[in-house]
Amino acid sequence: MIVSVFAMLPTAAPIASHRFAALLHVVHVAAALLSSVRHAALFVTSVLAVYLLQPATPIAHLDFWLPSASLLLVVVVWCATQPLRLEAMRETLVTAGLIAGLVLGIGALGITTQLCCVVTRMPPPNILVVAAAVAGGVLTCILVVIVFAGHPARTTWLVFALIALLVAVKLNWPISGADAPQAETASPAPPPTFATIQWLGFSYIAFRLIHALRERALGKLPVMSLREFMTYVVFFPAIIAGPIDRVERFLKDLRAPFIFNMSDLVEGGRRLLIGVFKKFVIADALAIIALNDALAVQTQPGLWAWVLLYAYAFRIFFDFSGYTDMAIGLGRLFGIKLPENFNRPYLKPNLTQFWNSWHMTLAQWFRTYYFNPLTRALRMRNIAPPLIIFVTQTTTMLLIGLWHGLTWNFALWGVWHALGLFMHSRWSEFARARFGAQDASKLQWVTHLGGVVLTFHFVAFGWVWFALSNVETSLTFFRRLFGMP
Amino acid sequence: MNSNDITHTLSTYVTTQILKQPKRILKGDEPLISSGLIDSFHLVDLGLFIEDKFGVRIEDSELNADTFDTLDQLVVLIQSRQ
Repeated sequence: MIVSVFAMLPTAAPIASHRFAALLHVVHVAAALLSSVRHAALFVTSVLAVYLLQPATPIAHLDFWLPSASLLLVVVVWCATQPLRLEAMRETLVTAGLIAGLVLGIGALGITTQLCCVVTRMPPPNILVVAAAVAGGVLTCILVVIVFAGHPARTTWLVFALIALLVAVKLNWPISGADAPQAETASPAPPPTFATIQWLGFSYIAFRLIHALRERALGKLPVMSLREFMTYVVFFPAIIAGPIDRVERFLKDLRAPFIFNMSDLVEGGRRLLIGVFKKFVIADALAIIALNDALAVQTQPGLWAWVLLYAYAFRIFFDFSGYTDMAIGLGRLFGIKLPENFNRPYLKPNLTQFWNSWHMTLAQWFRTYYFNPLTRALRMRNIAPPLIIFVTQTTTMLLIGLWHGLTWNFALWGVWHALGLFMHSRWSEFARARFGAQDASKLQWVTHLGGVVLTFHFVAFGWVWFALSNVETSLTFFRRLFGMP
Repeated sequence: MNSNDITHTLSTYVTTQILKQPKRILKGDEPLISSGLIDSFHLVDLGLFIEDKFGVRIEDSELNADTFDTLDQLVVLIQSRQ
């Protein structure tokens, strides 16, 4: 670049060109330094965010162990998927040391009463236990390197292990009073209650790790440092609610020279403000009247039930897309262009297009690692296409439903959308064969508008399953929507 | 096979096998995926057809509007891998 700029300079000004080259060199060094500082800052902030954003848990010390387990899983998957590069050993050891140091440092905060809860919600466990756990983590990583080096097919074991862990996390577990930190009081332990484990961002972390493992098995995973991989998986703007980026795309931005520019600053700031407004003004205001278990049983049949339903439909959109806007805006400020997750989903004329524009990165993840391979495999056999579409769409949507939680209502929400997608696919097939695209041109805007209204209401009815906790309450609310007690 | 031949082969496949509208003329820059014209199932079918016809593999992760959304973009992708 310097050479090409020199060529453009007039030869009659050697001193000026010399100064210009020196200036360019300074700019290059500054940009490299800035990129390095940016990467280090993103890495440390993201690792700390895993602890800082973890909610309090009813089981003692779990708010320390869960984030620590997230970090260990990232390191384990990195060890299982990356080739052993001696030339990068120093950098790897420094990064691993930094991660271990941060974990030990957070654990050591428990020694002081003033600083014990600066990072975690509750005091961390005994520092000796933390040190033993870090040593155990190091041994695990060494074992993983030995077992997985040169065996990409073995990464499938880790995929199944992560899926099993994801299922376990989403199950309802009995939590007895003896597990709670306040159990040291003299009062008898309360009866056990059931709850899922609130593991911050684990659904997203697991899906990014599975993405890396599958790409490794396919031989498509790029070579990257531990620091780059850790930053990708626990990137702090996207840890709570996505989007689920692809690692090769993320690395492209992370490795690009970082230079502050006004357009990134303005666009990032704009998206951040839009996200804050959507989430904390619109969504939080709508939450007051949005459908929930209590309101569903209290409301009278008729108009008010519809208000609850519409409020929930818009609340969930503004809440989720607001989080996405904040994540994209924050990422942009640091030079990372996270993928879009929403594209005006409530204005789509059919359910297929709705699912191309709602939680797009999750839908694309399922298409890449489940729907497309399954469809490909079934197409190789002599099975009727409608049956393949039914099986692949139903199971995909069922899995997307269960990804949100292992309940009957999430399963029904998935099946509801699967049936809608199947009906739309059959209708499209029927209509295409009988009505050409041009034939409908005069009535196109009418059919488009009708499609938007119909699709929105199909999605809104689906939210009844999603918003409420059990089938009985959902059926009661459906009755109230249509004027029945 | 030049780009015109590839475009013609792809266009014929999409209009006859996927859209079931053989008389329809697809423009090279007409959005296929983002417009909902081709759904997820038929996208896999299109990928299998391309593999079979042109000997070019399109990965499961590439079957989306970000990788290609029009016939023109698909032709460029196929030619870059042949």
